[in-house]
Amino acid sequence: MKEKLSAIIDGELEGDVHAQLNHLRSDPELRAAWDTYHLIGDALRGHACPEIAPRVISRLREEPTVLAPLRTRSTVKRLGRYGMYAAASAAAVAIVVWTAFPAWHEPQLDGSSVATTEVPSENLVVSEEVENYLLAHQPYSHVSAMQGVAPYMRSVAEERRAADK
Amino acid sequence: MMADFASRMWHPVRVLPFLLPVSAAIAQTDTSALQWLQRIYSASEKLSYAGTFVYQQGQRVETSRIVHVVDSSGPHERLEALDGVPREIVRSGDEVVCYLPASMTVKIDKQPGRRPFPAILSEQLKDVSENYTVKKGEIERVGGYSCQVLTLEPRDRMRYGHRLWADLSTGMLLRAKTFNEKNELLEQFAFTQIKIGGAISRDQLKARYFRQSKDWRVEDSGAIRANLAESGWTIRSKPPGFRTIAELIRTVGGTEGVGHIVLSDGLAAISVFIEPATSKRPVPHAGLARQGAINVYVRPVGDYWVTVVGEAPAESVKYVANAVEYHK
Repeated sequence: MKEKLSAIIDGELEGDVHAQLNHLRSDPELRAAWDTYHLIGDALRGHACPEIAPRVISRLREEPTVLAPLRTRSTVKRLGRYGMYAAASAAAVAIVVWTAFPAWHEPQLDGSSVATTEVPSENLVVSEEVENYLLAHQPYSHVSAMQGVAPYMRSVAEERRAADK
Repeated sequence: MMADFASRMWHPVRVLPFLLPVSAAIAQTDTSALQWLQRIYSASEKLSYAGTFVYQQGQRVETSRIVHVVDSSGPHERLEALDGVPREIVRSGDEVVCYLPASMTVKIDKQPGRRPFPAILSEQLKDVSENYTVKKGEIERVGGYSCQVLTLEPRDRMRYGHRLWADLSTGMLLRAKTFNEKNELLEQFAFTQIKIGGAISRDQLKARYFRQSKDWRVEDSGAIRANLAESGWTIRSKPPGFRTIAELIRTVGGTEGVGHIVLSDGLAAISVFIEPATSKRPVPHAGLARQGAINVYVRPVGDYWVTVVGEAPAESVKYVANAVEYHK
């Protein structure tokens, strides 16, 4: 089954994906494996935050067999595509994936590391100001017309990137 | 009950009159795809629902709970962030109240002069069909519902592409993805669980922070309609397909008298904020910031800050910022 999990993540599973996903949801062990695969994928792509990295390392130590099916392939490239497939799969599964990373956004709350290397700090839009502008802008967003207040979720995402004109 | 509801929502006679001018104007777009867009707008205004959705932007994912109840006085809505910094947003009619417990702030915003639904609809759909190629896709499942997929391909590089998933029986938008010109996913909203129609308790609309917020700082936008050209501010030229849909004076983050001009291409909106530089906020260097599908560009114009915010490519946002002029 773990082989199949890997195939699901890579978007390569033939046949009844939904049956496999149901199986995944009902089996705690498989879910843990699923989480691990994604942690590994993110760590390989350098996306995992500092808090997640030790978890990945400890999981790797605990479960060398989990890695076996992944190691034999060009892992980084294949895992890089996981985001698209995860997004395209059933939403119920997506929530399993997404909720596995509660700390994802935290390092990005202070997202100035990218910005400060590129431009002087005075070029940055201060995040609190961006949030104020976003709140004022949201009612006019097209998504507001279709989804009500849902796009207000954006106003708190403080990841940002500054660049020269 | 659901079937009743669906047939009320989706009645050809109610829908078609809005579409006639649109379908005549644009032959390239599939009319039935535009009817679907119309259904989505109607559903968001007329359906009651409660559910959980995720907002994903790059590696960031935020889960929220949303409750939307429509009664004789119109739609009422409450959004509560379940991850990260707690926030709550309650909308009733044109008024939006944001509770931000971390900073102990309540922000109140109104949209003055907003034309009531569905008056804006035919105009909006006409703009959409002129700026995007709207096509019907496959039927796909989202959150247990069979959905019609719609694609909105931009006709030029001044706007992003979109892919929408709308519930077949009610038209409710259950997933929306935004793509850049390289077809890379910029952000998505997706319901992971939703109950559409039926009885939804009004208790669920009550703000969790209402009592606590009595002592919090209140920031009222005090937005009023304005003619900014009279005070010397104009936008020399707009990106193709965009036109001005609102001009306001408001308070933003404690700064009073901020000019706010909104441009729209029927789907994407770009806001221009104009405010004087102060000793606390001296005139900025020009700079770009990005977050998911939102680009922010700041540019000094004389002794003023011009900040442009929009869910549009950096190119469009910079275009607008560079076109802002001040003539005394």
